[in-house]
Amino acid sequence: MTDLTAMMAGDRDVVMSCRVRLARNVSGFPFVGRATHPQRREVLETVRAAAGPDEASVGLVGGGRVGASTAESLAWVDLAALPKRDRQLLWERHLISRQFAEGDSPRAVAVTPDERFSLMVNEEDHVRIQVLRTGNLLREAFDAAVRVDATLGSRLDFAFHPKWGYLTACPTNVGCGIRIGVMVHLRALRVTNEIEKVKRAAKELHLAVRGFHGEGSEATGDWFQISNQRTLGVTETGLLEEFAGRIVPAVVAYEREARRVLLERQRTLLEDRVFRGISLLRSARLLGLDEAMKQLSSVRLGVCLGLIPDVGLDTLNRLTIQLQSAHLRAGESGIESDDDERAARARVARTILGEQ
Amino acid sequence: MAAPFRPCDHCAKPAVVHNTVIVNGQMNEVHLCEDHAGAAGIQMPGQAPIHQLLGQLAQVAGTRPRGPVCPECGHTFHDFKTSGLLGCPACYDAFATTVGPVIERSHGGASEHIGNVPARADDANQRAALLQQLLRELETAVSAEQYERAAQLRDRIKDLRPTTAARIDGTP
Repeated sequence: MTDLTAMMAGDRDVVMSCRVRLARNVSGFPFVGRATHPQRREVLETVRAAAGPDEASVGLVGGGRVGASTAESLAWVDLAALPKRDRQLLWERHLISRQFAEGDSPRAVAVTPDERFSLMVNEEDHVRIQVLRTGNLLREAFDAAVRVDATLGSRLDFAFHPKWGYLTACPTNVGCGIRIGVMVHLRALRVTNEIEKVKRAAKELHLAVRGFHGEGSEATGDWFQISNQRTLGVTETGLLEEFAGRIVPAVVAYEREARRVLLERQRTLLEDRVFRGISLLRSARLLGLDEAMKQLSSVRLGVCLGLIPDVGLDTLNRLTIQLQSAHLRAGESGIESDDDERAARARVARTILGEQ
Repeated sequence: MAAPFRPCDHCAKPAVVHNTVIVNGQMNEVHLCEDHAGAAGIQMPGQAPIHQLLGQLAQVAGTRPRGPVCPECGHTFHDFKTSGLLGCPACYDAFATTVGPVIERSHGGASEHIGNVPARADDANQRAALLQQLLRELETAVSAEQYERAAQLRDRIKDLRPTTAARIDGTP
């Protein structure tokens, strides 16, 4: 049974996840794009040595976490040696960028077992610190990212300029090198055609609105990533406060209001979409990714409005990832054609949601 | 039918700016995503008229085909213009006059870092420059009666140079 009050207290009815990313470069080396492969390998080894073996050594354990003895090991994944499907798997889980998945030079990512932290080495910049959280836990994600930055920064000389701040390969990241982002489910705003207003408002606030997989992905279903574009002339805490204190509450309130209006004025239509969605996911035999995401969006809205009490948000979050292509192919052997994949997607949806 | 997917010249994002640049009679195609286009000083439709953008490109191309070169890594301004990326930390100073305005434009006019400083930014020059900047900001904050901001700045100044901070604490 979904606890609606608890869900709304954590903004989980609208905020699916949040992310804080920091871009850093190691002094004394050219940026990744200009570096030779031996230089990239040297950067990789230098950062790996600075990060150490586990969550404690990289600075993650502390603050909210108790006891360094619980520190889990960092799993280092050598991207250059990884099969294409596994690279895509990491990308689908939002642990690496698409750009990082597709390159062929020396690079690696360190991931914690709970997958809430990843450290990309030799992406566009030498170091990309990324902290992910489910729901609206921006402050927690921010604190963790800052701790890792301070830890690595005490062992590595990060390229820094008194005027421009942290130096990055792309000048759009210079300054704080920080991106704060939230993945929000704005189904009702989309249905009521108010999503363009959100986009316009976001643009005025120097925010980027992108799709489910960030840059380059059109919004898959009704999920949108909202992140800062300005990184210079702002402070890290200032940006955090802007996001956690102003932007996220405003977006959440706006979407909730649109949901309230939908329920009030078009309840039957809304319920129809929600129950068609859950029926389809529980009974389809062939399911394309776009259709699955569309129906998941309807079901998610239904769950958040208390219309489908036997499905939890965690189940939907898990499904959203597990229905992606590489995840299906990793979970089942013998998927070759598109139809095989669609059949597998339908099977996974039926299994997880309980066939009826 | 949708246009075929064309990635940015420098990353996997879809290119949204497609330019043909002619330098000394040689034609080059440039495909950039929104971020890299912005970094190269190309503004999206609605932000700047296209003739202004092409004028900027032609100006750079016409006066000096390859542009300045970074003494540290050999990156040229032309490299930056086509990729949107700099080659090394020294490029920021090597291309200060050309890249500086581009940076400011892509950050809403901001021209100075006011955020955190790395733990090991212990180079004397860097610290001195930062200190000067913080002192200027403190002055502005105090005169604007932004006391919370002023207090934050004082803390940072104190961290940078305790002896100076002691003196600043005495200012109104």
